[in-house]
Order: sequence, then structure tokens, then C-alpha cells
Amino acid sequence: MSVTSAAQFQAVSQVFGDFTAVDAIDLTIPEGKLTTLLGPSGCGKTTSLRMLAGYLRPTGGRILIRGEDFTTAPPEKRNLGMVFQSYALFPHMSVADNVGYGLKLRRVSGSERAKRVTEALEMVGLAHLAGSRPKQLSGGQQQRVAIARAVAIEPDLLLLDEPLSNLDARLRLQMRAEIRRIQSETGLSVVLVTHDQDEALEMSDQMVVMKDGRIQQQGSPQDVFPAPANRFVAEFLGYENFVPTADAQVTVRPEHLHVNARQSPAATSDGLSLDGRVTDLAYRGVDVLVTLAADAPGSSSPDPIRLVADLRASTAPDLRIGDEVAITASPGHLVTLPA
Amino acid sequence: MNTRRPVAASLAVLGYIVMIAPLFFVVITAFTAGSTVRFPPDGFSLRWFEAAVTYQPFMSALASSLQLAVFAAVASLALGVPVALAIHRGKIPGKGLLEGMFLSPLIVPELVVGLALYQQFMIGLGMNNLTTLAIGHTVLMFPYAVRVTGASLALIDPAVEDAARGLGASPMRTFFTITLPLLRPGIFSAALLAFVTSFNNVPLSLLLQSREFRTLPVTMLDYVQQNYDPIVASTSVLILAGTVLVAVVAERTVGFAKIFGGINR
Repeated sequence: MSVTSAAQFQAVSQVFGDFTAVDAIDLTIPEGKLTTLLGPSGCGKTTSLRMLAGYLRPTGGRILIRGEDFTTAPPEKRNLGMVFQSYALFPHMSVADNVGYGLKLRRVSGSERAKRVTEALEMVGLAHLAGSRPKQLSGGQQQRVAIARAVAIEPDLLLLDEPLSNLDARLRLQMRAEIRRIQSETGLSVVLVTHDQDEALEMSDQMVVMKDGRIQQQGSPQDVFPAPANRFVAEFLGYENFVPTADAQVTVRPEHLHVNARQSPAATSDGLSLDGRVTDLAYRGVDVLVTLAADAPGSSSPDPIRLVADLRASTAPDLRIGDEVAITASPGHLVTLPA
Repeated sequence: MNTRRPVAASLAVLGYIVMIAPLFFVVITAFTAGSTVRFPPDGFSLRWFEAAVTYQPFMSALASSLQLAVFAAVASLALGVPVALAIHRGKIPGKGLLEGMFLSPLIVPELVVGLALYQQFMIGLGMNNLTTLAIGHTVLMFPYAVRVTGASLALIDPAVEDAARGLGASPMRTFFTITLPLLRPGIFSAALLAFVTSFNNVPLSLLLQSREFRTLPVTMLDYVQQNYDPIVASTSVLILAGTVLVAVVAERTVGFAKIFGGINR
């Protein structure tokens, strides 16, 4: 068998007592790509990562790394580089000793080790802090040291557990690009766990959306974003409008809804066309969020459905709360979901 | 001091006075030039300190006490550190109950422990009193070892140990290169606490003493019952000085808040 996958989950489960954290997932981590595991807390993404790293033994299924069965191997036998959410630097060692720790265990000679430590630190731009202690560094710097330490051992996979969640907003954006750069420079296969859909969209080659221990959808961001497979994925990716139809439902993003003063009964077209009323307006500078109550012909319930439109402030019509409006969306922006 | 709570502040001051004032009289009388314990003292001299360090029964008792304290500190840590690790890192059910059991020697009256050891070990098993005392002190110091090292273990992020494993270290290697170095201040302060507590112990040592092996506090107690000269005061001052020194070192290296914070939690 040729090695095209860095790692594979085959029907892998993790059951804690009567709670199923991961439910028989099948997943292929492609070689040399960045894969994100995305989902809300408790969806099983971190549990999956910890099983891949060897910190948790699966209660069912097999985990292959480069085609070999590693299901029950302890972490120290796996040659994976893990970056922890808390960074987990060794507080009693210098930055250089942190980065060199894995190399020392691999019996890399002193001079070779020093060279590789310097290379790893240069890659993250921290060669000048080699002699510092972790507690003297900022959060962002600690993060970089943790990445350098994981990359220095030339791992088969680089695993990152919510690596950006402890950083402030600006640094987070910067580190997204930085991690992508490191991935492409080293050609490493990377698995990154996150609950932030923007992060996953921006960083992934392949994104895997999880919920309740199951994979909901996987694919490139370009494939997943415009075509969510079900209502959960759609909501998670920011689709807020769900309109029931005869045997299914359609969803549309707030920025793809058009709202206009009603001239005549809404014209029927290929796309979405509903009558509704403005119930709330929120001006946000660049855009205006319009909350609407719409009559839904396909709905079994007599109550109007709630829709949200995100209009550009510069081109939005002049609306007041209570206005009767026509709500439309073009067919290309509609995604049909199972009911 | 918190000036907005005058009653609490006054009580605290009163508490300190009650605790420290008697010590003050002991320290002053130790420096007397006279030959009786009296306040104010008859002049100033160091003659009773000289007498103390040359009084053979005290010095051999001091050697015994030091031996016993060192043994108890080392032995209680050798047992206590693995127990603390098992409680904080192990996957064992009923951790709380287990921890409570290991702390129970703090609650059982020492005289009861002493009597039990006397009956079962010395009479029952025919052990000599040195062995029995060593066991007794180790048992008494054990809760300190478990609690203090446990408190510093709780402060170590378990992810740090996971990180070492991930980088290729076996569990044993992880313990010696990561956990133990991070635990060192905790172990050090546990050892100091155990040492001081063992050194100052009277009830257990009193019950398990023998003519050949007697600790310093017990010897001093005997001495006071026969004689009442300032040599006891000067010896007390020397012990006090040594104990304070140990406490200062413990405070500087780990901090009392960390040591006792664990006990109050």
C-alpha cells in the first residue's frame, strides 16, 4: 500500500462510562496538508486529537500512522509533535533546552542538537531568546517556543490543540498566518483543533466539522462553506436563515438576503421570495442587521419565521421597524438541506 | 494590618503577645549570670550556653533527636512522594477517601499512636525502642509529606508531563527530568517541616523512650523535674534559634502560604 495518508482513523470510538465522546469515526489525515477538526466544545475534536497523540487509548477501532497500526502505542513511541493549549513548556528549563529536549532523547549529538535548536528557533523568530526561561516570555512567544519544540523532532505529524485560543485577537490573526507559513516551509502534515470557524476556513486544506462525537462534513473550505451538508454545519458556519419547504428546508446567509419596500404582492421567481415585516434594526457602521418576521408558505406552523438580513449600510433601503417588506434571495445563494 | 476591622486586628495582636511574651522571658533568663531562673536576670553572661553545649546528656540526646528527625523526614518522603503522585496523577477511584486516610495520623492523638506502637511493636513484636520510634515518627510525619508534596504537585500543569511523553520520554524519564525537578521545592519544604515536627515531638518520644535512646525534648523534660537552673532556658533558646532558621529557609524557598494553603483547601 502506498503511503498517501499521514494518519487514519478506522471506526475509532472513545466511550467514557455512559458518555460516547467519539462515535466510530473514519477519517483520513492527508500527507503534507493542514487538517482542522472543527466543532463546539464537547464535539469530540480534542478527544480525537488526544487519541491520535496516544494520550487516550481508543475504546474501539484502529489508528494508523503512515500505514502502521499505532492504536495502543504510548505517546513516546509515536514521534508526533504536539502543541498544547496551555503551551506546556518546561518551566525549569531554558527556551533552548525546551526545544532540545526531544532531540536529547533521540541521542542527537551536542553540536548537531545546538544547530537544530537554533534552526527551529529561527523558524519562529525567537533565536535571540534561547537563553530565557519560559516565564519571561509573553504568551505569543511561549506559543512559538512550543511550536519550535514540537517541530524540532521532525515529527510525522504536528498536532495543535486550540493553539490560538489563549492569545489576544490581533496576535491570533498573526499566528494563523505564521502556522500556515511553518506548515508550508516544513511540508509537515498538521492537525489543528479549533472551535473557531473563521480560523478553520482561513487555515485549512481540509476541514472536518464534528458534533456529538461524529463527523458531520469534511472537505476543503471551498467545498464545505458554500454547501453545508446539514443544518448543524450551516448554523456553525453562520447561515442564520432556514425556510421550510414542502419536503426539506432551504438556508441562505444573512448577507445574501435582499430586503425592499413592498410594492405589490411578491413576484414568484426561481429564488426565494417572501413577504415579511421588519421587527428590529441594528446599525453597525459598515452594515445594517435587519431582523424580520416572514410568512412562510411551506411551514406547517402558523407562526411567522424569523430571518436576519445583513445589508450594506451604503446601499440599504431606508427601513423602519414595522415596515412591510419583500424578502428575496437569488437561487444561486440557496442551499437545500434535509428537513 | 487591616485598620477597618479593629476587633480582629486587636485579637491578632493579643494572640501574638500571648504566644511570644513567654518566649521573651525564656530568652532573657537564658543570658543570666546568676545560677537560678529569675526575672529580671542577675547580670549578663553566656555561661549557661556554654554549660548547655558541654552537658553530655543533652548533647547525646541532641544527636539522637537529629538522627531520628533525619530518618523520619527521609523515610516519610520516600513513602509520601509516591503516595502523593498516586493520588494526584493516578487513575484510582476514591481519591478523596484515600487522601483523608493518609492524613489521619494528624487527627489521632499522638499518645494513642504511641501506646498502640508500644503494645504492638515493642511488646508484641519485641522491637527495640529505636526502631519503634523511627516507625512512629515516620508515621506521624507521613501526612506532611503527602500533603505538602501533593500541594506542589497540584500546581504542576499535567500537560507539561504529557508534553515530555510526546517528545519521546518514557514515564520514568518524565518523572526524573520533569516532575521531580518541579517538585523539588515542595519536597524540600516537606522535609523541613517533617524534620522540625519530629525534632520537637514529645508525646510519642516520651512513651517510647529507653535509657539508651532518649530524644532531647524528653531529656530536657526529665531535667526540669529534678533541677531548675538556666541551662534548660539556654538549651531552649538554641533549639528555638535552630527551628526559626529552618522556618525562614522554608518560607524563603517555598512560602508558608503554599505549604499550608494546601492543608486549608
